[in-house]
Amino acid sequence: MYLCQIAATGNGAIETTENGMRISGLPYNAVLFSHGATMFENPEIALDELPHTDDLDWERLHPLYARAMRVASAIILTIIAVAITALNFVPKIPLAPVAVLYSLLAIATAVAMTWPGISIQRRGYVLRDKDILFRKGVIWRSVTAIPFNRIQHVETSSTPIDRKFGLATLQLFTAGGSGGDLKIDGLGKDVAESLRVFILNKAGAAIEHA
Amino acid sequence: MIAVLIAYQGDLVSRLTLGGIAFAIIVAAASLLSYWFFRFQISDDSILIRQGVIKKKQLDIKFDRIQGINTKQNPIYRLLGLVTVSFDTAGSAGNEGNLPAVTRGFADSLRERIGKPRTAEIADDEDSEAKAGALVHLNWLDMIRIGLADRRALIVFAFVGPLMERIDEDIDRYIENFISIAAANGIELDTASGISIGLAIFVAVILLFIIVSIAAAFLRYHNFQLFLDGRTLRSHAGLVTAHEHSMELGKIQTLRLQQGIVQRLLRRYRFTARQAISSGKNRSQKVFVVPVVTAELADTLRKKFLAPEGGRLSQDPTSDRFVSISPHYMRSKVLFIGLLPSLSTAAALSIPLGAAALIFLLWLPAVATMSYRNWKRAGFMHDDQEIIRRSGLLGYRTVGLLFRKVQRVTVSQSRYQRRKGLASLRMYMASGSVRVPYIEHGKAKQLRDYILYKVESSRRAWH
Repeated sequence: MYLCQIAATGNGAIETTENGMRISGLPYNAVLFSHGATMFENPEIALDELPHTDDLDWERLHPLYARAMRVASAIILTIIAVAITALNFVPKIPLAPVAVLYSLLAIATAVAMTWPGISIQRRGYVLRDKDILFRKGVIWRSVTAIPFNRIQHVETSSTPIDRKFGLATLQLFTAGGSGGDLKIDGLGKDVAESLRVFILNKAGAAIEHA
Repeated sequence: MIAVLIAYQGDLVSRLTLGGIAFAIIVAAASLLSYWFFRFQISDDSILIRQGVIKKKQLDIKFDRIQGINTKQNPIYRLLGLVTVSFDTAGSAGNEGNLPAVTRGFADSLRERIGKPRTAEIADDEDSEAKAGALVHLNWLDMIRIGLADRRALIVFAFVGPLMERIDEDIDRYIENFISIAAANGIELDTASGISIGLAIFVAVILLFIIVSIAAAFLRYHNFQLFLDGRTLRSHAGLVTAHEHSMELGKIQTLRLQQGIVQRLLRRYRFTARQAISSGKNRSQKVFVVPVVTAELADTLRKKFLAPEGGRLSQDPTSDRFVSISPHYMRSKVLFIGLLPSLSTAAALSIPLGAAALIFLLWLPAVATMSYRNWKRAGFMHDDQEIIRRSGLLGYRTVGLLFRKVQRVTVSQSRYQRRKGLASLRMYMASGSVRVPYIEHGKAKQLRDYILYKVESSRRAWH
């Protein structure tokens, strides 16, 4: 049975534990129990024994990413500020609304400058043997997982600001989704590239096996 | 030819006759030309279609891209024993070809040829049995059920409803007139009979819509039959134009059992099998429809569709195996969609409107009822292969899927959910996503990990 399993997963190593056998080639180092196993029996895997995604070491994004976000919003805010200032020169516009606009702009600036530092703390990814996980969100938190054998194609891109800071965006596409199904912004350019190659290889290998 | 027509001097009748003849000649010539230039060729692994008189078009459809073969037969083709074959292709928008006017035998051989490589993999002894009879055969009673449950009638009714008031006024005036004429002739008519005339017209309009939708159901689904040939599902239906759809069982992403208000009274459901959404510009999706089934029949069908791995669960929404989701689902909706918006709107508008702003507080009971109903109907159940989610407001909807066909999975938490230790699980399929909201965070993570395990250890194609 174990031989059968290992043959199916390709290269795997077996080590015996007190509970049964630990096969490290399986996606999760799942512990398979040896009771009543015959050649074609599929061993029951209790939900508790699946690897948890709790205590993972989340890879942080590039440290310059927060600054790149601040620069991007600074550009937009400057354009808005110029537009508001231009309003001042238009006659017949009372001063009060312009003041309100300025104070709104000040709030927006404060948020835009502090928020990237907070949100980048919560963003991160984990690359595992068979899948990639990405977490994000400060108030609404989410963790998305994509198995490599479901990836259709991978894309890296970078905006001019990204290029200035040596950053890139990695997008993973699965079937049935619209646009990028998983978008990881703010990776180092070299990291994004090596991730792209790694994931493509993994995805390709998974498809060949299937 | 047009110049000749314009130059021709004569009376209207002979002009029209000449015009008709000219039109017929043009149509005949055009169809002859397009017939002559339509060529197709079937090779080992693809079908090549070349068509177009002036603008040439060439299509190369690979067999392994073909998701299913549908045929259509209009009355003329039926007399001649011909069908139009169209191909469902995955992910190639604007590249859908069809073969008009081929013989039924040819269409069958084509279907067999395309289906064969896949059906050969799974040689079942049951296949020959399954081939014998139809899985589903709908009779005239079912047609009436489809017609009654047709939502379009309801929508038309919703549009006509407000108009009825105006029509009513006209009717009233007409009736007044009628009564006065009757009175003049010495016949006593009271307003009560006037109202009954208005009511009769109202009922007649509804009846008319029901009759129209029943007729539409007969036209579309008359003699609906569902077959399973090996691993290929095939349906055949239609009164005038016969439609035939086919779909491979392996392509099914989600199974959906739906029940509207009318269907609830009839104790019937609509059962659909959804395929992957094709990527590209027009994101089309092939849906295989069984228009009317009972819950028991749907369960036997899904057992066959999801065999050998899944299909053990029941998609019947009344099943007591459904686990309900956390009542915090309802509470957060009441709080964030009901209470906070209605209070803040009422407070903000109390200055200009005064006490009239209190009317916005009516929003709260509306949201409360709706979220209570939503919560009551929400639920899920799963075994080691599949998960079924139940939802609904007035009716019911259950969606079933196999874990191994999931594309990606997200566990998300709002602040509110985090405080209560809850999370929402969203499974993205190639046919769209299925969400199980407000379950325990631990359960959501456990399901996520199990789904990942199923997907990553799966050696079978998801499409």
